[in-house]
Amino acid sequence: MSAVELLAVATDAAGDSTSVDTSFGCLTIDVPPERWVVVATAIRDDPRSDCGFFDWLSAYDDRDAGLAVAVHVWSVGHKHGVILRTQVARTGGWLPSLTTVWRGADWHERETFEMFGIRFEGHPDLRPLLLPDGFEGHPLRKEFVLASRVAKAWPGQKEPGESDADLSSADGPSRARRRRLRPPGVPESGAWGPDQ
Amino acid sequence: MTPNAGLSEPSGAPPPPRSRGVIGLHEANCTSCMLCARECPDWCIYIDSHTETQPATTEGGRDRTRHVLDRFAIDFSLCMYCGICIEACPFDALFWSPEFDYAGPDLLALTHERDQLREWMTTVPPRPDDPADGEAH
Repeated sequence: MSAVELLAVATDAAGDSTSVDTSFGCLTIDVPPERWVVVATAIRDDPRSDCGFFDWLSAYDDRDAGLAVAVHVWSVGHKHGVILRTQVARTGGWLPSLTTVWRGADWHERETFEMFGIRFEGHPDLRPLLLPDGFEGHPLRKEFVLASRVAKAWPGQKEPGESDADLSSADGPSRARRRRLRPPGVPESGAWGPDQ
Repeated sequence: MTPNAGLSEPSGAPPPPRSRGVIGLHEANCTSCMLCARECPDWCIYIDSHTETQPATTEGGRDRTRHVLDRFAIDFSLCMYCGICIEACPFDALFWSPEFDYAGPDLLALTHERDQLREWMTTVPPRPDDPADGEAH
C-alpha cells in the first residue's frame, strides 16, 4: 500500500497536476517543475512517505518533449521508494536545486548540469564535475555528435555484395554512387568536424 | 601455467547455460545481408562480399545472382557481448558459444576472422529446447 501513500503525499503537495507511471514495476510520479521542491520536501517529511535517503538524480533526453529530470529517493523505515520526475525546456531549461532538501543531490545536480545543460537555481557550487575545463556541449543530449563515430567508417554502409574496395573506387558498380545509408545520430560525411 | 590459467573455472565446472563467451558464425546460413553489421551498436562486425551470377539452367531462363561472402570478422576488443547481432540475424547464422578463454597480449588478435568464427561454431551447445538440434550446426 506504500505506493498509494506516496502518491497521496505527492498529490497533497502538488494538487491534481501530478500523474503516475508504474512501468517497469517502479512508481514514478510526474510533477510540474514549479512544484518540484514542494513535492520533494513533502516526500521527505511526511510520515507516510518518510523518504530521507537520497539515491540519485539524473536526466534523459525526451526529444520533442524536452529534457526529463528524475530523482530516486528511499525510505529506510518503510522500505519503499519513489522516483519524482519533471520536464524542463531544451533551451534555457532550469530547475530549483534539491540540495536544500537532500544534501546528497549536490554532485548529482552538477553532473546533470554538465551532461544536459540544465541549470539548478540555488545550487551552492554549480560547476562541471567530470568534464575537463573548456569542454563544449552536453554529451548526454541526443544532438551531441560522437567524434569517434565520425572518425571511423561505419561498417554497415556497404550494401550486400559490396566490399571495402567498392566504397573507395570512384568507378565501382553503379550502386556504389547512390546515396549511402547513414547510421542514426551521425552527420553526413564532411558536414561536421574541425574543418567546418 | 598458461597465461590465461587464472581465467578458467577453478572447479572445472561447465559454464552456466546460455553463457556469452564468444560468437560463432555458421557460414552456410549467412547471406551477407549486412543486418548484423548495421544493428551492431559497437560497429565491430566487418563484412565484405561480392555478387556472382549463375547462368540460367533452362532454355530461356533468367540468370540468377547471389552474394558470396569474402570477409566476416568480429572485433572482440570492441564487442560488448550484447547479442543484438545474434537476435538481428534472420537466417540463424550467428550463435553464442560459452568459450571465453581467448584473451592475449595482442589487441589485433581479438579481431576474429571467418575461419576462427567457424572454429567457434563447433563449440556452440545444442539448443536446450530442441533435442533434435545439434546435427544442424
